[in-house]
Amino acid sequence: MAKVTDMVLWDKPGEKVLLLGNQAIARGALEANIAVYAAYPGTPSSELTDTMAVVAKRAGVYMEYSTNEKVAFETALAAAWSGLRAMTAMKHVGLNVAADTFMSAVGMGVEGGFVIMVADDPSMWSSQNEQDTRVYAKFANVPVLEPISPHEAKEMTKYAFELSEKFKHFVILRTTTRTSHARGDVVLGELPEEIKHAKRKFGNFKKDPSRFVDVPANARKFHPVILEKIEKIREELNNCPFNWIEGKEDAKVGIIAPGLSYAYVKEALHWLGVEDVKILKLGTPFPVPYGLLEKFFDGLEKVLIVEELEPVVEEQVKTWAYDKGITIPIHGKDLVPRVYEMTTRRAVEAITKFLGIDTPVNYEELDAKYQKVLDMVPPRPPSLCPACPHRNSFYAIKKATRGKGIYPSDIGCYTLGLLPPLNAVDTTVAMGGSIGIAHGLEIAQHGSLSEEQRKNEKKVVVATIGDSTFYHTGLPALANAIYNRSNILVVVLDNLVTAMTGDQPNPSTGQTPHGEGKRIPIEDVAKAMGADFVAVVDPYDIKATHETIKKALEVEGVSVVVARQVCALYRIGQMRKRGEKWPIYYVDEEKCTGCRACINAYGCPAIYWDEEKKQARVEPTMCWGCGGCAQVCPFGAFKPVEGGEE
Amino acid sequence: MKEYNIVITGVGGQGVLTAANILGWAALHAGHKVRMGEVHGMSQRFGSVVSYVRFGEEVYGSMVPEGKGDVILAFEPVEALRYINYLKEGGMVVVNTKPIVPVQVSMGKARYPELEEIRKIVEEDFKAKWIGFNAEELAIKAGHVVTTNTVLIGALTQIPEFPLDAEHVREVIRLSVPPKAVEMNMKAFDLGVQAAKEILGL
Repeated sequence: MAKVTDMVLWDKPGEKVLLLGNQAIARGALEANIAVYAAYPGTPSSELTDTMAVVAKRAGVYMEYSTNEKVAFETALAAAWSGLRAMTAMKHVGLNVAADTFMSAVGMGVEGGFVIMVADDPSMWSSQNEQDTRVYAKFANVPVLEPISPHEAKEMTKYAFELSEKFKHFVILRTTTRTSHARGDVVLGELPEEIKHAKRKFGNFKKDPSRFVDVPANARKFHPVILEKIEKIREELNNCPFNWIEGKEDAKVGIIAPGLSYAYVKEALHWLGVEDVKILKLGTPFPVPYGLLEKFFDGLEKVLIVEELEPVVEEQVKTWAYDKGITIPIHGKDLVPRVYEMTTRRAVEAITKFLGIDTPVNYEELDAKYQKVLDMVPPRPPSLCPACPHRNSFYAIKKATRGKGIYPSDIGCYTLGLLPPLNAVDTTVAMGGSIGIAHGLEIAQHGSLSEEQRKNEKKVVVATIGDSTFYHTGLPALANAIYNRSNILVVVLDNLVTAMTGDQPNPSTGQTPHGEGKRIPIEDVAKAMGADFVAVVDPYDIKATHETIKKALEVEGVSVVVARQVCALYRIGQMRKRGEKWPIYYVDEEKCTGCRACINAYGCPAIYWDEEKKQARVEPTMCWGCGGCAQVCPFGAFKPVEGGEE
Repeated sequence: MKEYNIVITGVGGQGVLTAANILGWAALHAGHKVRMGEVHGMSQRFGSVVSYVRFGEEVYGSMVPEGKGDVILAFEPVEALRYINYLKEGGMVVVNTKPIVPVQVSMGKARYPELEEIRKIVEEDFKAKWIGFNAEELAIKAGHVVTTNTVLIGALTQIPEFPLDAEHVREVIRLSVPPKAVEMNMKAFDLGVQAAKEILGL
């Protein structure tokens, strides 16, 4: 079977392939003859960037993993100013990072099509909040498109470039986890000649300070221009191929289904056998085109808006209806929850209440039965992988601070250090937040520390931050802490990849998808900034890590310890590809006393408790051979199997 | 066909996504409209994972609605139970009976239910048919534990009313695994088929 990344580049118009929503968007961008792509990875947007990374060179597209979303945004924007088609992608909270440029540059518009792909995460499967990007779209007066399937996502991407170019305006392509990470059949379209022949496209930036320099005198002209543009776009969207009215033309009841909610509404109506209804399918939740609303409302006696998260469409529809003097009931957030993701069940529940009919499943009974199940099923939260170097770093930090420190952490796999038995994460807020929070905590606690804490160590606040996150937004925070003479320890958990989002490269190794990047060692940055103590350790050596951290805690000022060891998941993946073996550990039954130190303080998922023998055991299929267990066991019970395994 | 809904559950790292992908391609090649839903990122790290594979004319969203799943393909016993709310009454549960003990159970902070308890709830409360066997053992017999997902897919193709042809699914697996792993996966598939046939009395 062909590799997905090959299929994304297939010159086979009409061929039907199975693609992830994010891969379909990459294909759409190629079909639209994209020239420049820049992004920082973030779930659920990452596979779009990863797909572009693999195909870019073969398609003549400039692609980069940028160090954060703001930089990525600016890189792509400047290309669009130069007349090229350009795209950036990010997860919803990434737009917060890019928002400064986004909000200020929107009035300048673009020359080449500029598409901002933002992947929202309702229900927060891999995120810290569930902000709704459609609110940003409205805030900035930028149109937002939202697809219902991978195929539509591909088609919408092409349309987004055209719309952006036509109105010289930004366009947001908004997905959610359930479109980005949905797989579906996608029909391939034509690829442009430049893409087929890997011909790199170059732009031409035409200087115009009155447009590209936002001093107040210039910026004052922007706002009216933006408002004029968005109303013209609203008019244009009456004819957008992703907005339509369907169902029974003379129905008395209507349902408005923006974005992916359309899929759930269709399934719910089919399941309920309801046909006497008119549907407005809205691929553009902002701005809602009034002409279509006018047509849709004709003859209706009541309307339901089935919308995920914020009432973005509902507010536009109700405002429009009020101004038009329309007084029929319009339901929305009174019947549809405002929190968490939309599901078919939610659509069923809203529609049955709206129509006064029964649900096809007795949900009350199902929930009661299922509660019994939930009560007996042991929790299985995600955990740090076996052999994860972060586990060793956390273990050493906890030991060196006797568990009495304050541990601000950051966004990445290592946030999982929160879970028992490590309990090594006290705060996590946003990318790069650990160092600023650590500094603030230090200032606030200083002088209010217990006698014992002051006697035992100079520092009690230990921040942990990953390599990629350090470059993303950790840099200015570290500069601030050093400049303001803070007294904290920053442990940079440098696993040499951006692991959580799928092993993307970053400046810590200098690798790029195309191989020509430059390495920026974290310890060099810390030294250059003036940190008072800088050291590099290998967390697979737990004793050395513990001792280095102890030393770093004794220094007055800002200490930086770089705990460097490659991500275990990444390493094992590489070893499997090369057919290499690694040692597998087992428990020597003669030596294990059943003290549970390995389980209760270290917590490798490959170690489990044998209830019968009252001893620890290693699950051989999960052991990745770091040997950390052998270092934490006080009785030397963990030993490598001769010869190893794979 | 209107729709067929498969819910695949397990522990991150067990190959749930790979199994979903194979079934999705098999359905696509059989001419069906396909929708699949999966979760990437943090949830993948040795936590509980679920994937949905749906095909037929009437599928739109990527998630199987609660109470509408035709079958749960579970890589681990408690993970079958955790998503049992997705199964329709009279649905099937094809399950690898080899448990993976969660860290909190090892720490003594939670209890892992007995296999018979799990089976009883599935059969009595949810009126489902239980097709359980140690797929990991068969995978090791086939050549490597990583073929556990192939064993389970093999078993899945034997359940009553499963709409995809077993030979067709087997062929998709043959084409999607690396050449050196073909033989072992074919063996794993056949062992899964055989195990299900024995349980179902075919």
